[in-house]
Amino acid sequence: MKNGEKKEMKQVKTGKKESGKKESGKKIEAQGKNQIKKQSFEVDQRSVYKCVQCGTCRSVCPVFEVVGWESANTRGRMLIIKSLLEGRDPDSDVLSSLATCTTCGICAEKCPAGANPPKVVEAARAELVKQGVVGEGQAKLNATLTKFGNSFGETKSRLHWLSEAERSEIPKKADYVYFVGCFDSYRYPEFAKKTFEVLRKFGVTLLQDERCCASPLLRTGFLESAEKIMEHNLEELRKTGAHTIITGCAGCYTTLKNDYPDEFRVISVPEFLAEHLEELPLKKLDLTVSYHDPCHLGRHNEIYDEPRKVIRAICELKEMKNIRENSRCCGGGGGVRIGYPEISLDLAKKRLEDVPEGVDYLVTSCPLCVRNLRDAGGDVEVLDLIELVALALE
Amino acid sequence: MTVNADVIDELREIVGKRVSVSPSELYCYSSDASQVRGLPDYVLRPLNTEEVSRIVRLAYEREIPVTVRGAGTGLAGGAVPVKGGIVLDMSGMDRIVELDIDNIQVVVEPGVIQDKLNEALKPLGFFFPPNPGSSAMCTIGGMIAYNASGMRCVKYGTTRNYVRDLEVVLADGKVIHTGSRMLKSAAGYDLTQLMVGSEGTLGIITKASLKIAPLPKTRKLVMAAFESAELAGKAVVKTFSSGVVPSACEILDRVSLKVLKRYDPNLVLPAEGDVILFEVDGTENSAREAAAQVMEVCSGLALTLKLAESEEEMTKIWAARRLVGAAVSRLDPTKSRIYVGEDVGVPMKQIPKLLEKVQEISEEFELPAMKYGHIGDGNLHVALFIDVLKEDEWARLNAAADKIHRTAIELGGTVSSEHGVGAARGQYMELQWGPAFGVMRTIKNALDPKGILNPGKLGL
Ligand SMILES: Cc1cc2nc3c(=O)[nH]c(=O)nc-3n(C[C@H](O)[C@H](O)[C@H](O)COP(=O)(O)OP(=O)(O)OC[C@H]3O[C@@H](n4cnc5c(N)ncnc54)[C@H](O)[C@@H]3O)c2cc1C
Ligand code: SF4
Ligand code: SF4
Repeated sequence: MKNGEKKEMKQVKTGKKESGKKESGKKIEAQGKNQIKKQSFEVDQRSVYKCVQCGTCRSVCPVFEVVGWESANTRGRMLIIKSLLEGRDPDSDVLSSLATCTTCGICAEKCPAGANPPKVVEAARAELVKQGVVGEGQAKLNATLTKFGNSFGETKSRLHWLSEAERSEIPKKADYVYFVGCFDSYRYPEFAKKTFEVLRKFGVTLLQDERCCASPLLRTGFLESAEKIMEHNLEELRKTGAHTIITGCAGCYTTLKNDYPDEFRVISVPEFLAEHLEELPLKKLDLTVSYHDPCHLGRHNEIYDEPRKVIRAICELKEMKNIRENSRCCGGGGGVRIGYPEISLDLAKKRLEDVPEGVDYLVTSCPLCVRNLRDAGGDVEVLDLIELVALALE
Repeated sequence: MTVNADVIDELREIVGKRVSVSPSELYCYSSDASQVRGLPDYVLRPLNTEEVSRIVRLAYEREIPVTVRGAGTGLAGGAVPVKGGIVLDMSGMDRIVELDIDNIQVVVEPGVIQDKLNEALKPLGFFFPPNPGSSAMCTIGGMIAYNASGMRCVKYGTTRNYVRDLEVVLADGKVIHTGSRMLKSAAGYDLTQLMVGSEGTLGIITKASLKIAPLPKTRKLVMAAFESAELAGKAVVKTFSSGVVPSACEILDRVSLKVLKRYDPNLVLPAEGDVILFEVDGTENSAREAAAQVMEVCSGLALTLKLAESEEEMTKIWAARRLVGAAVSRLDPTKSRIYVGEDVGVPMKQIPKLLEKVQEISEEFELPAMKYGHIGDGNLHVALFIDVLKEDEWARLNAAADKIHRTAIELGGTVSSEHGVGAARGQYMELQWGPAFGVMRTIKNALDPKGILNPGKLGL
């Protein structure tokens, strides 16, 4: 952050014990009575001690770049988790340190010691939730999701973007099911519509009663709430008899693929489109676009080539400054957009600096990335891949 | 140290919100990449010389220790506040003030990251040559304070050779310049060189004028494997005496090679032996000639010889070499590399002897050791691996490191060639320097009579 000021980081504790900021000066051993005892903080020790504090991640952590304090970089987070394992009290800055990680995973990509910091951070968040140490934004998110089954507190049907008639035509059984996700259901119903428009021709169905995939809960540590929602979705998925789930949201994708049981094949919309390119009547468009790799599609699941293949089938692709494994986070993930909107937007602005000159659109394939990059207000219009495809199908 | 509310108020007056006393924040500043630990009482992130000067003046009046920190990637605990007090995190002072190509120099603030400086210089056809393995994250301030260097220093020299002038805040807050933009000067003591390598114990660097060098047009790499470390050493000596100055001259011992090959049999490295990587740079013609010369020198001595000319092939070889640190822990996830005894140096000719001794130490303490380094300047890196959850392995590790340090001194060498002394190696200073160490103490007392600047370091 250029002005060097520390971003305001709000947090509350819903647990019984007040944390309060202690004026320091005490040496490490003399941290007073521990609220969390050594064995009670259950994060896999080995995964934490993998970090040898080399600082390599310091050069890539996007949150650190805008916040500036050591506690806001990967190494700081790993150190703080280590200190909790060793019995230190979780003071208020523990929460802001852990809650500001977008789980983008670029640190894991670069770590020479083979540590996986976002996984460790997620485990630590879950442990803090168990202890009742929860941020304001996180607590609200959990309540909303649990009550409404979506992250926005929406009460209308998730399929409101279909007419009554269209809804009645949704096949009960199919081999493929399109998992829409909260964002496309409520914030970008046009993406959902365009996606389903393409998919329905391949006999893809929709869930009768889809709920949030539970990604925001899993990323922020509310494992119990997450399990309930996942159980519901699993029942719904089983009812369709489908063997494959298709989704257009990178967050849903990584969650369905890596957190749900291995009952279904999970593919992203870009993978599906790339597989069926021959069957799509795509026109060539006289456009040059750039592509932003969503962290949860790219780094976390190595889906780099498919979206590019689809784009190249339609128009010219001019790459951003940092791409694929080195792609920079848009700032939207890991609960940061909700908990720390200012930091989240700063990250998006930084990411827009990577857009090359002379492109008509910046394309990505995740509604959360679309939202954050649009909110950052750059000069270039941001499109979801499905919007580009829809343009080429017109 | 106890924290004083007045002090916090006064510090806030100077840097606003850029001061922290939160326990978690302090904890994050209680270590660097070494095993040294110490909790600060205050962390500050100044943005200009004026702020640094005011903070130091306050610290001087109140006798509060001040430890400067760059990126905290140091391997000797230099940036760790072992006596508490203030940590000054300089990474916010990260402006490249001037790219003065006409005078072949740059002016930078200390928080500039090495790679970022080179990114800015590349389009202009120049570079800042000292290249530690940590160049992606370490700061220029940290490099100067540690006199850091990397594998190219065999030809280009260490950070020391590139510093022309420093703006320094002294212990009482006074600001001085130690040099000028002149290429040479014969007026007085060389305070610039005194500051280089002083590890934050004599003053705080707030600006630096640095010499830069034109980027070489091309590079070539000769990879040679030898039956023994002796033969490898001989080849290196012969190469230098034939008039070639390689831009890098790296050794990878047979144990390291074996581990790397076990980790990935397809790595582009020789099948066996002690390996030397000779890199030469220059114009197409001069590099080709130098590579041919190295090949000729090695031909009678080496088991295998290979010339790599394409960028792709060279990148693959260097990438394989860089796996040294990670390969063991990837083969056995319970093993982590711990940086102790990792940076000794001996006269070039003693390298084979040192390799032999370190292997004995590794066997004695039953710790896997990979040995690699800059044979061209006598710097051997030893990578020791332990299971960090086992206390007895820590004990063996520390005993092995101690023996490695003492062995290097016995062979006429140094406990640190580039990583510095900090709090990790202070106990060897007297042994290595004898009466000269007394002179260092005198200098320290003269410049920092109250002992507030980075106390507990350099064995002082
Ligand atoms: C993976 C890895 C590889 C490495 N490879 C190399 C290598 O090849 N060669 C090498 O030389 N080193 C290497 N190092 C060590 C280290 O990265 C370098 O010494 C580096 O120069 C330290 O920079 P820093 O900004 O992290 O400094 P820090 O660790 O923050 O500080 C280092 C010292 O400099 C002082 N200091 C920092 N800034 C200032 C300032 N503005 N004014 C006065 N004093 C200051 C500190 O007090 C401390 O004593 C490596 C480290 C790691 C983790
Ligand atoms: S790169 Fe890996 S080992 Fe290094 S500090 Fe970051 S997490 Fe730790
Ligand atoms: S996952 Fe991303 S935001 Fe989180 S610590 Fe790693 S680099 Fe930083």
